Amino acid sequence: MNTATQISTRAMIDEQDLHITTMRSAGQLIKRSLINTRRLPSAFIPTLAMPIFNMVSFSGTFFALTKLPGFPTDRSVNWFMPLGLAMGAAFSGVGLGFSLIRDLENGFYDRLRMSPTSRISLIVGPVLATWIRVTLVAIFVFIVGGLLGARPTAGVLSYVCSLVAALGISTIGAGWGLGLAFRFQDMRGAAIMQMSIFLTMFMSTAQVPLDVMTGWLHTVARVNPVTNIFRLSRSGWVNESSSGYMSWSNVYGGLIAIAVLSVLSLLFAVRSLQKIDK
Amino acid sequence: MSNSPIIAEDLVRHFDDVQAVKGINLEVKAGEIFGFLGPNGAGKSTVVRMLTTLLRPTSGTARVAGFDVVKDADEVRRSIGVALQDAAIDPLMTGAELLSLQAVLYGIPSAMMKKRADELLERVGLTAAASRRVSTYSGGMRRRLDLALSLIHQPTVLFLDEPTTGLDPMSRLTLWEEVRRLNKEGTTVMLTTQYLEEADQLADRIAIIDHGKIVREGKPVDLKASVGAPTLIIKTNIDQAEKAKTVLSTFGDLRPGAEGALGVGLRGGASQVTDVVRKLDEAGVHVQHLEINEPSLDDVFAEATGYRLEGSDNAPSAGDNGDEEPAKKKSRRGRK
Repeated sequence: MNTATQISTRAMIDEQDLHITTMRSAGQLIKRSLINTRRLPSAFIPTLAMPIFNMVSFSGTFFALTKLPGFPTDRSVNWFMPLGLAMGAAFSGVGLGFSLIRDLENGFYDRLRMSPTSRISLIVGPVLATWIRVTLVAIFVFIVGGLLGARPTAGVLSYVCSLVAALGISTIGAGWGLGLAFRFQDMRGAAIMQMSIFLTMFMSTAQVPLDVMTGWLHTVARVNPVTNIFRLSRSGWVNESSSGYMSWSNVYGGLIAIAVLSVLSLLFAVRSLQKIDK
Repeated sequence: MSNSPIIAEDLVRHFDDVQAVKGINLEVKAGEIFGFLGPNGAGKSTVVRMLTTLLRPTSGTARVAGFDVVKDADEVRRSIGVALQDAAIDPLMTGAELLSLQAVLYGIPSAMMKKRADELLERVGLTAAASRRVSTYSGGMRRRLDLALSLIHQPTVLFLDEPTTGLDPMSRLTLWEEVRRLNKEGTTVMLTTQYLEEADQLADRIAIIDHGKIVREGKPVDLKASVGAPTLIIKTNIDQAEKAKTVLSTFGDLRPGAEGALGVGLRGGASQVTDVVRKLDEAGVHVQHLEINEPSLDDVFAEATGYRLEGSDNAPSAGDNGDEEPAKKKSRRGRK
């Protein structure tokens, strides 16, 4: 490399005052994440298979639930498809924590931390890549669900609400997974990531409506914000006569829960990243 | 205030109860290759991690490229290039993809990215392998790619943390040449190594670190001269070791030898060897092996620390023929 080239490179970088945009770095990190997904499909397949397995097994096994008086749909697959999707989204989210642990352990993350790019891009890029993966999972789940007999009751909005709920769950899972990975920096964080996310999900209306729950589970599910997210996700898949059918009053709670939990979990991730810089 | 690109004052780092770095003071001048020499666990990497903003000092201050490593961490990051131990590179990506990622992270304009990446790939001899996944690279290729990545933004200060550990002699020589070339172009280089020969060959000045403290610092030639006398190394039966020590101590200060060997710094120079052999013979000591060495960095290290650098005898030199270790991943956590 000749000196003139060096000088011109430096000059241009100086000219820009190394104006490193968050979105440009985030874009490269999205690209990296998607390249890795393409080149290591075995890491993505469980995320794709899990929701299908859940949807098929739950809707088959618990078909009789639809016979309960007041059950909001007569198609069990309509009830369990959003659950499968939510679980796939949660897997994708916390999976980001697993990837981060790998990067931390093999030292690749040091390379990112040593760069002058904004710390926000180190969080935003991978989270946006997760959104892309969750969207692919959602499309796959909708197709398979449709083949199994799932029918939307509110048209396109049914799909939109389920997708928004899935993206929300993946964001919450990603923030939580990243935060724990930054804190523990090894696989100890992985067990907490999975257990906490799935316990929170199953102590909501993930499997059965609130009306058929009793005792402590009913109380916990009632206050669990994830219940609101499931209400949002299923609002376009329950019968029009059901109290949970698509309406503003049935979706705003889910949107607020997603917004608040996403902000909290992403803040946790950012704080945890700042902590390892210290 | 000094304009030196690397200045550390009373740098301390604790990990819980362990004091890994115990008050390091050092100054690396512009245009120097500075060698940081020490055994595993001496604190070399911890110092480098503090100087490269990866770790905050528990106390003390450090300035790199004129910026405080804590208060102006972003400015430091823009000014330095770093190749850490074990070439931390994503094995699923290709060399070209990694260079693009690195270029964006350092704010290189899109219009210049490709040209810059091509220049660097050519420089480190990886043009033909640019579109191959890193998992197919040899250890030497990974190190060269790591070096290219660290140079993407043309840093003024370059940190190389054990850049040749695990490399075969040819790859080691290639990397040395590249480091010299970079230095000639004006880049200040701080190099950590556990190989004495590497420090001797490359560094303008070195610091020896042991148990978190700098125990010697200076130009290799001056440090070697400070040891003075040549070292006579002998090997004898274990049961005659004490007798041999008594004889040797009459010719100079005893120095640590490799395992099973005894060393003495000959006050009267190499001409005393005949006398030593005669006295040992008179004392009934059967000498199995004898050699005389001019002062080396190994002697400097031994004199400063009281022991020889582990594996220094076995460290592959650039002239040896050895097989290259396969690239391996290690957990970073324990190295903090």
